[in-house]
Amino acid sequence: MDIKKVAVIGAGVMGAGIAAHIANAGIPVYLLDIVPTLRPGSGQSGVDNRNSIAESAIAKLLKAEPAAFMHKNYARLVTPGNIEDHLDWVGDVDWVIEAVLENPAIKQELYRKLDNICGPDTLISSNTSTLPLKLLARDMPDSFKQRFMITHFFNPPRYMRLLELVSGAATRPELVAAVSRFADTHLGKDSVICKDTPGFIGNRIGIYWLQCGLLEAIKLGLTVEQADAVMSAPFGIPKTGIFGLLDLVGLDLIPHILGGMKLALPKEDAFHQVNFLPELVQTMIADGYTGRKGKGGFYRLNETGGKRVKESINLQTGGYQPSEKFALPEVAKTQDELRVFLSGDDALCRFAWQVLSNTLVYSASLIPEIADDIVAVDTAMRLGYNWKFGPFELLDRIGVDWFVDRLLAKNRDVPPLLASRHRLYKIDSGKRSFVDLSGNYQTVRRTDGVLLLADIKLSAPAILENPSASLWDIGDGVACLEFHSKMNTLDMDSLTLVRQSVEKVKTDFSALVIHNDADNFSAGANLTLLVQAIHSQDWPAVGQLIKQGQQTYKALKYAPFPVVGAPSGLALGGGCEILLHCDAIQAHAELYIGLVEVGVGLVPGWGGCKEYLRRWLEFARRPGGPMPGIAQAFETIGMAKVSKSAAEAKEMLFLSTTDGITMNKDRLLADAKSKALRLVPGYMPPKSSSYQLPGASARAAMDVAINNLKMAGKITDYDVEISQQLADVLSGGQCDITEPLTEDGLLNLELNAFLHLVQQPGTLARLEHLLKTGKPLRN
Amino acid sequence: MKNVVIAGYCRSPFTPAQKGQLAKVRPDDLVAQVIKGLIHDTGVNPGDIEDLILGCAFPEGEQGMNLARLIVHLAELPMTIAGTTINRFCGSSMQAIHNAAGAIQMNAGEVFICAGVESMSRVPMGGFNYLPNPGLYKAYPQAYIGMGETAENLALQYHIDRLAQETFAVASQQKAGAAQQNGLFATEIIPIKRADGETVQYDGCIRADSTLQALAELPPAFLKNGSVTAGTSSPLTDGAAAVLVCSEKYADLHGLEKLARIRAIAVSGCAPEIMGIGPVSATHKALKRAGLTLQNIDIVELNEAFAAQSLAVLKELPISLEKLNLDGGAIALGHPLGASGARITGKAASLLKRENKQFALATQCIGGGQGIATILEAI
Repeated sequence: MDIKKVAVIGAGVMGAGIAAHIANAGIPVYLLDIVPTLRPGSGQSGVDNRNSIAESAIAKLLKAEPAAFMHKNYARLVTPGNIEDHLDWVGDVDWVIEAVLENPAIKQELYRKLDNICGPDTLISSNTSTLPLKLLARDMPDSFKQRFMITHFFNPPRYMRLLELVSGAATRPELVAAVSRFADTHLGKDSVICKDTPGFIGNRIGIYWLQCGLLEAIKLGLTVEQADAVMSAPFGIPKTGIFGLLDLVGLDLIPHILGGMKLALPKEDAFHQVNFLPELVQTMIADGYTGRKGKGGFYRLNETGGKRVKESINLQTGGYQPSEKFALPEVAKTQDELRVFLSGDDALCRFAWQVLSNTLVYSASLIPEIADDIVAVDTAMRLGYNWKFGPFELLDRIGVDWFVDRLLAKNRDVPPLLASRHRLYKIDSGKRSFVDLSGNYQTVRRTDGVLLLADIKLSAPAILENPSASLWDIGDGVACLEFHSKMNTLDMDSLTLVRQSVEKVKTDFSALVIHNDADNFSAGANLTLLVQAIHSQDWPAVGQLIKQGQQTYKALKYAPFPVVGAPSGLALGGGCEILLHCDAIQAHAELYIGLVEVGVGLVPGWGGCKEYLRRWLEFARRPGGPMPGIAQAFETIGMAKVSKSAAEAKEMLFLSTTDGITMNKDRLLADAKSKALRLVPGYMPPKSSSYQLPGASARAAMDVAINNLKMAGKITDYDVEISQQLADVLSGGQCDITEPLTEDGLLNLELNAFLHLVQQPGTLARLEHLLKTGKPLRN
Repeated sequence: MKNVVIAGYCRSPFTPAQKGQLAKVRPDDLVAQVIKGLIHDTGVNPGDIEDLILGCAFPEGEQGMNLARLIVHLAELPMTIAGTTINRFCGSSMQAIHNAAGAIQMNAGEVFICAGVESMSRVPMGGFNYLPNPGLYKAYPQAYIGMGETAENLALQYHIDRLAQETFAVASQQKAGAAQQNGLFATEIIPIKRADGETVQYDGCIRADSTLQALAELPPAFLKNGSVTAGTSSPLTDGAAAVLVCSEKYADLHGLEKLARIRAIAVSGCAPEIMGIGPVSATHKALKRAGLTLQNIDIVELNEAFAAQSLAVLKELPISLEKLNLDGGAIALGHPLGASGARITGKAASLLKRENKQFALATQCIGGGQGIATILEAI
């Protein structure tokens, strides 16, 4: 069964977000909510627009930040309606997702109607986060029970990769399989099978952890900044930590969640020991300080008096005070450092130990109550709470043996799962395996079609390797080039490995994929090296750096084998340029790509201008001539525009129409590999391009535009300087429209512009400011 | 000399570029429908028409290939009608009328269609391949000066503050809004059929409810600390207009309704950086040729490229506001470059009749530094 059309009932934050993400997959979706009720005594006899709730939800989605839609056009796939007039629409959908109020009676009334209208093979699921399936299915007809399950998305649905699935004994397995497959390939979600227990996996552990953190921080007298600094970076947890995350979730939701858990969890559950809402939080909720969507929360931006001051709550007094920047003196990274940190005596260390040990013990005690194995729990916490490591992976990092010793030393109970003191994961003949309840190791299974570089790295050594990049054999004659420096910035080592890879693949492989499984494909060239060269005024070295990049990327482009780029996350500057030199790109749907060099006072110098301009010149959508393409490239590079998705990257021509988009990041490498293999038979390297450019006339046209922007106050003095250099490259320099320019001619123009700009103080100021603050300078 | 008359005027609805109702209509299809409407409404015998003269400011892409001749076919007119496309930027279709008038007096034809079109949605201002002469740009950059900047220059030179501009813009909007409300455009608008079957029959640019308060909120559109905003500039617009120009004798012989006689015409040049003042010298020339003074003029159609520009012209040409742009101007209605000249000349002619007055002036400024003027008299 394929899912070709979906309905979402309930246009609240979750329902609307889910609908938007289904539209992102190119699937038409109905979004229905109730007909708005009139205010009593308003004197009106009926509402003008019976769809207004769903319609305003779509309007809100279009303005959401971060964006809910991957491209604004996808909003057209969402059809708004209301459940009084349009419930019959669900007759032709394959999946109905219910996301209405968390009230069993309301839900069941809706289910009965849906059950009558839906076709026999339509799955109905609830996005409930608190109600058990057995309660929702109670007293419902068998026809319903067979098609019903829980599909629990995380907020925001586009960005959070976890989907928790709970099916009942009667749920037809093929419907579960269809939804799980669709969520995987179309929505890019990792489905985790959960037991029908309160809070499922993510929130069961997550809420417990948040409550521990909240209560311990108050008890130990920590500031919110301290608590969040401790409960984040050292353990691979997002920097929102405890209090930042509570602000994001919304404090007003917490009493409801706690109340629900209290009723549903057995008396002996450790949750009850932390089920307490401090008076401070109760007051904050009552006063409307409910977090980011309220007047503020534990943190707020105070904008009174025209200044924006970040403030935090004093956990002891309840008053706001200006936030202090708090950073741990040293972030524990190695196992020894972690242990030292967790066994320290000061309040920060005691906080870390209390919160973390409670959470890890609690997690270990919940197998098999909430999930069959530890892999499901780790996956849920990684993808649902953006932890870098799940609780069991964290235990391995700390060391189970050490952890158990410490529990015993503190007279704490040791959960059975940990009693044997086994490592929780280990590598067995090149494969990752996990420990089960009986102490045996089982292989971690991947879904068909999932190929992870992390798995490949376990099975064999790299073919080529240096500190910044490696080359791996991913099977079937395909090699994978991986960047692995900090933020995957590109330096001389990266370039060297690209060149070596070209030679290696020529002889030993038939295709190359460029991919890594980090959050970001590449943040661009390593600017530290460049700044050093500028300080020593070593212009030949800068020239060499540019020429090496140009020659390396050119070698990649004209290599006698297909090269497929497979980026996810950021692909900026030099990272974008290498992709522009690939034969094809298979992109993760979350691709943020752009040529952002002007932000640091430069122009793309590793062939980025050349390749990006070529894409626009070859793109014939409007009546021809050279200027439309030049103007588009000028605007995109000149404004350092970055796509907010792969779909946008396609519109911006960073991706071509034949490039592919993969929704599930775990499938990206496999999709890229098969794209590369399809290109192998009869592969011919691209013919070199020639550029028919108007030279000085185009330069004059861009100068007019630059001058107008300057006069309108839209660009700064130094923007003018950079834009003029960019204009010089894109116009073709001194060339004439009758004499086509070669690729090398354009590369020379890039080099000259780059060398001109690096010698300007304005560029150095931009570079240093970015390196120092992480933010661009507009001088 | 033969008398030349305007014997018919109509136009398409004027709608905002990109987001308006005519954005997806090709300019040739748009103007062809307007010309068909003109033929139908005037009852002229198409076989008598000598030439189709079409004004267009950016005649390329869908507006290229000597559009005028192609429109002869699109409007299903006899093969015998010639077609020429002419360009004087914003003055293009007023120039079309001038060319016809000259030809008639030279005995080079009796009846002409003088039309204009611009789809600013489909062919951008500046065209697709804006390629200025680098040498000229260096030596004399004002030759390529942006229009907004010229309006700012006039605002400075004539001490026209932002409030004065906004007051002028609101008046234009209110006049256009009232005219629309009272159905005064119904007689001149030819409803346009789109490819999707929809019909467009109302102007889309008018903001009758615009207020001084709302306009005061807008940021400067062209200069960082300038006074000209989107609210005091004519909007980018899609539209077409057409007038029928013939000898008075031909009109009488065939019973065509005569709107006005063309009494005098003129064009002139001025400094590009204050192109908006162009109407002043063109009007003086035309008045002199007509043997009239400004006091004789009862009806004025002054193309409102910008409020600052219009007010600068009014400082040099004292015209009482009751005579000016009775049904609103380009700030409210829109300014599809190639079509505006035919619109204001045809409009001035029909206003002479409607208001029962004797003399009318239609005049425009033109990018690059020019003015164009036409003086009409009642028959």
